Amino acid sequence: MTEATDLAERAGDRDPRIGLRAVAALRRLLEQLEAVQVRSARNQGWSWQEIAAELGVSRQAVHKKYGRQ
Amino acid sequence: MFERFTKDAREVVQGAVADSRRAGTRTVDAEHLLLALLEREGSRASFALAALGLAERREPVREALSRARRHAGLTRAESDALAGLGIDVSEIVARVEEVHGVGAMAGDRKDAGRWSGRRVSFGQGAKDVLEKALRIALAHRDRHIGDEHLLLALTALPGVAAEVLADHGVTYGTVTRVLYGDGGEAAKAG
Repeated sequence: MTEATDLAERAGDRDPRIGLRAVAALRRLLEQLEAVQVRSARNQGWSWQEIAAELGVSRQAVHKKYGRQ
Repeated sequence: MFERFTKDAREVVQGAVADSRRAGTRTVDAEHLLLALLEREGSRASFALAALGLAERREPVREALSRARRHAGLTRAESDALAGLGIDVSEIVARVEEVHGVGAMAGDRKDAGRWSGRRVSFGQGAKDVLEKALRIALAHRDRHIGDEHLLLALTALPGVAAEVLADHGVTYGTVTRVLYGDGGEAAKAG
């Protein structure tokens, strides 16, 4: 019985739906985290260039995404 | 599409815009539509919600929505999926809030007042709800789109609103039963 439950659980872990849902959720979490950190850096007087360098993206990309806030 | 909306449905949409503006969010989301729906009185949706016992449980619903919002707008199902990867969303939110303040992960702006005059746009989630409401109305051969179709759409689309409603016994099935009787189940929304 325990074995069967165990097996069922492990099979569930391979359910692509759960994996894909986790990826989508992680992306949303990441977006919010990025927004929090960019806003905080701006409030502390960081330039777009400095923020972009830390994030590893172009200055234009960061400014386009958060610039008019 | 909007010309087919009833007065009640229009007021829900307007209420959602007002809610979102008050919170300082840049977009109107499905959750704002639900918040506005909870405020309704004497409409088809408020009748359905009352029949399902939600009239007295509006506050827990609001709290659950606000909690989800604080958690980056993730549903419990999404948080559980992340927990499967060893990622504790509550822990992340707690740490970020420690440094950046309560609600930091909600995407709301603290300077909401400055935004009050700005135009807000409809997010994809809210657009999906409006479109789904239209399709549900068509499936039931209803001539107008009322706030009850908005409610049905909110229960039908996966997300925070549907999850919170389901926790309180409000699902596509139960709302359909209350509004259309058991025969209504036949007219499944596409």
